[in-house]
Amino acid sequence: MNELVGCERAGRTYGRGRNAVVAVHGVDCAVTEGDRIAVTGPSGSGKTTLMHLLAGLDQPTSGHVRRRAVTVGIVFQGLSLLPPLNIVENVALPLLIAGCDEKEAGERALNALKTVDLADLAERLPEEVSGGQAQRAAVARVLAAAPRLIIADEPTGQLDSAQAAHVMDLLVELATGLRAGLVVATHDTSVADRLTSRWEMRDGTLRSRSC
Amino acid sequence: MLIWLRGLLTRRTGRLVASASGVAVAVALLAALGVFLASAMSTMTARSIQRVPVDWQVEVQPGADGAQVGQALRHDHGASAVREVDFGAVTGFESASGGQVLTTGPGQVVGLPPDYAAVFPGELRFLTGSSQGVLLAQQTAANLHAAPGDTVVLHRAGLPDATVRVDGIADLPQADSLFQRVGAPPGAQPQAPPDNVLLLGADQWNRLYREPVHRQFHVRLAHRLPADPAAAYEQVTGSARNLEARLAGAGLVGDNLGSALDAAREDALYAQVLFLFLGLPGAALAACLTAAIAGSGRARRRGEQALLRARGAAARDLVRLALAEALLVGVTGAPAGLGLAAIVGRIVFGPAGFGATLPTTVAWGAMAAGVGLLTAGATILLPAVRDARRVSVMEARRAVGTFRWPAWARYGLDAWLLAGSLVVFWATSREGYQLVLVPEGIPQISVNYWAFAGPALLWAGTGLLIWRLTCLLLGPGRPAVERLARPLASGLAGTVAATVARQRRTVGRTVAIAALALAFAVSTATFTATYRQQALVDAQLTNGADVTVSESPGAYAPPATEHRISAVPGVAAVEPLQHRFAYVGSDLQDLYGVRPGTVLNTTRLQDAYFSGGTARQVVDRLAHRPDAILVSQETVRDFQLHLGDTLRLRLQDGRTKRYRTVAFHYAGVVTEFPTAPRDSFLVANASYVAAQTGSDSVGTFLVTADGVAPHTLADRLRATLGPQARITDLDTTRGVIGSSLTAVDLGGLTTIELAFALALAVAATALPLILGFTERRRTFALARVLGARPRQLGAFVWTEILLVGLATAVLGALAGWGLSHMLVAILTGVFDPPPSGLAVPWGYLGADGALAVTGLLVAGAVTVWAARRPPLNVLRDL
Repeated sequence: MNELVGCERAGRTYGRGRNAVVAVHGVDCAVTEGDRIAVTGPSGSGKTTLMHLLAGLDQPTSGHVRRRAVTVGIVFQGLSLLPPLNIVENVALPLLIAGCDEKEAGERALNALKTVDLADLAERLPEEVSGGQAQRAAVARVLAAAPRLIIADEPTGQLDSAQAAHVMDLLVELATGLRAGLVVATHDTSVADRLTSRWEMRDGTLRSRSC
Repeated sequence: MLIWLRGLLTRRTGRLVASASGVAVAVALLAALGVFLASAMSTMTARSIQRVPVDWQVEVQPGADGAQVGQALRHDHGASAVREVDFGAVTGFESASGGQVLTTGPGQVVGLPPDYAAVFPGELRFLTGSSQGVLLAQQTAANLHAAPGDTVVLHRAGLPDATVRVDGIADLPQADSLFQRVGAPPGAQPQAPPDNVLLLGADQWNRLYREPVHRQFHVRLAHRLPADPAAAYEQVTGSARNLEARLAGAGLVGDNLGSALDAAREDALYAQVLFLFLGLPGAALAACLTAAIAGSGRARRRGEQALLRARGAAARDLVRLALAEALLVGVTGAPAGLGLAAIVGRIVFGPAGFGATLPTTVAWGAMAAGVGLLTAGATILLPAVRDARRVSVMEARRAVGTFRWPAWARYGLDAWLLAGSLVVFWATSREGYQLVLVPEGIPQISVNYWAFAGPALLWAGTGLLIWRLTCLLLGPGRPAVERLARPLASGLAGTVAATVARQRRTVGRTVAIAALALAFAVSTATFTATYRQQALVDAQLTNGADVTVSESPGAYAPPATEHRISAVPGVAAVEPLQHRFAYVGSDLQDLYGVRPGTVLNTTRLQDAYFSGGTARQVVDRLAHRPDAILVSQETVRDFQLHLGDTLRLRLQDGRTKRYRTVAFHYAGVVTEFPTAPRDSFLVANASYVAAQTGSDSVGTFLVTADGVAPHTLADRLRATLGPQARITDLDTTRGVIGSSLTAVDLGGLTTIELAFALALAVAATALPLILGFTERRRTFALARVLGARPRQLGAFVWTEILLVGLATAVLGALAGWGLSHMLVAILTGVFDPPPSGLAVPWGYLGADGALAVTGLLVAGAVTVWAARRPPLNVLRDL
């Protein structure tokens, strides 16, 4: 399978000198097309930092991150919709930023919302929908962009179990439909169990991998 | 509580500083204006005292015992000096000069104690010779061609002639008040001083006259007066009435000081009115700005409140935290404002001119600080209390919310306020309206406070209307906003427009406050410029020209004097102006003889000075008909004149000195004329007047400078023409004619106003935008995470700034224009003469606009720069 992103002795340290905090160090890993990976570990173990490095939102302070030029879709921990834009505008935003035509972006966004069953809430503001609906909208935003790599950081952290299951179903379906790699950071074992691989983070290092 | 405050200080430093700055501006403006107002009123009282050479002239009534009156006065605790002055009559003076015997008409011989000039220094001005003994008034000396050492014969009324030897020549600058008719009924015509006066020492006078025609006691008061001219007036006039009661008819008080204070109290009232009209809106705007600054963090505060409530905090706890924040802002902003006021005061007025007394300074400072604390409470505490009581946790988490028109907008409150303002404006701008009513000689003074409703309603209505218009532009007008954003945002234009549209409440508030701040600057500056323009016009009218040369009344100044004046370096043009007196019926009026061909070229006659045509058209009527005459509107009304009517006047013949009737034809109405009095006067052809009276004597020469400072040119003319000519210049006149209001208040008041208006305009445009963008850091960071480049984020920022800038400029300028017109119309009593149009201070407004644009650019640049920060860092901080 084609590698989408990979880390080579990658590390990330915040601050300097005595105040330096090592969030991630010496991580070697790779994500290929079709991967379904759950990154688990306790709070502060470096899951989010690793996700940011994989998504390209952050740069390693040591080591190296290999990356193919593919579209990356990101689902964040907590609310990640822009408050002044309604749901459909939020979903269309990455497309418009990428230079897509406004009409086409709107259509693709609406289709993505239909897929996650949110078309009837398209005109609502993020603050007018529930947490689960907002997270589904975030998934629709990823779907609309048709990425090859999906990075989801605690996508179900603020949802109840039913909503969490729904969102995870959507993510997996989405990744399957797009033949994309999927990496989900979670401390919820029920979420992790739904994915095929598991990476265990401890004190900033990748301790174990299991399939 | 302490943890919360520490968190505010470390994490919300910018917002706290901005809120405290808003409070500081409101406090500083009020304190600076208030302290200066108190100081100016005190100065007005002091100047009134200085202007009056003799505070009281107590005239002994016929048959009364003068000694008793003097005794009563000397025992009066309010009097610090009392001197007896006796008046004797002559049927004429006579002198022999160069083989000719010169005689004058009736006059008066005044007996003065030896130290009179020292006790009342403003009453006499020694010109030449000795300052003691026999002093001849300047005009009498000119009439008699007498000099120190010459002998003058006094034709005493009812007594044999007496001869005295002149020791010196003196001027009587306050002759009007010295020879006033004490006890004249209110509204009586002022009595002209005698043409001929001789001053004698008391001993010599007593040797020449056994009994005075009348005897006065001149009194200098102790001047322990309140700083407020109105209170001082009441005290002085009350003391005068008390004295008259104690004298039981033996003496009447000519209350010169009371009269001066009577005039000053009107100025003081106008100063207070100006403070209310010009100062309060500025302070209210500063409070609104503080509210906007505090309000821009309201969503964040609501969110924090929701978190605290979700963790078990009661509404009471939330109110306490808000109270702590309000107190923090208030107790830092108020002292900062007082410090700022002190600094502004020092810069504008210097250490001596700011703050009349310690108590008034402390009182105004305390009042302003109290307003600052109230502002902090109203803008931070009240919204927090309301949110804590009414807003649920879920509602509190809402940052944007669905737009709904508030109740005031649904009921059209803005339209009602503006309509009310127009009604008040119509009522107050009618003819006969007086904002300040100070009946002469009556203690009660009044201000038509109803007039304040006009600008107040206009301010409020305009602010609400601007908010409504901005919301309409961003709501139904969103397609237009999208088109405006297209050049900046291209494919993101719709998204940018949607973002701004959903923030329309906040953007509307920003535009409303910025536009009102601009309107404040425009209206204040326009009012000030118009006032200065009219002050210059007033000075030009009073002085007549850059420099005015008046020959003494008895001297003959032939037209050839014009050539002597023209030859002086710095003179651009000279216009001779005949000054005579003429009887219209029984009414004695000033008559000015002009040269119609040149008068418009060398004087600054405005169209507003004439009615029934332009200045050129009306003056041309004089040119076309030699016996044409221009009269005042009052004369037209009183004598039922129609254009072309013959008007027969009685003028003094230059040869026989007798009055003779001269026929003129009424050709137009003149309302103002250089050097002319404010009431009735006449303007005619100089050549016709000279021909009819047999004298071409010119009383006044109006001199236009070629760029030389008027006071410099005046000095040169004095050196050329000698002491016989009275020379006044525009520079000096502007300082002298200005009432205490002109000279003191408005200069300082407007300097403070204009400085604060500039600061407000900049702060109102930049601060709310910067803070609003700061609240949207998360939005920008999320957009960055989704792939937005800094240029694309810039499109969001610059589109909003463009919108705010354009709306502020258009709506603010319109509001400023309307407010300027209303202020000038309502405060028309301040202007003398009333302005025919507004003076627009383009330089100041340009600087104001440039600073506001700079503020917008800085706000945009700061936001775009901040948006370049790595988004993960921003999200982590939030």
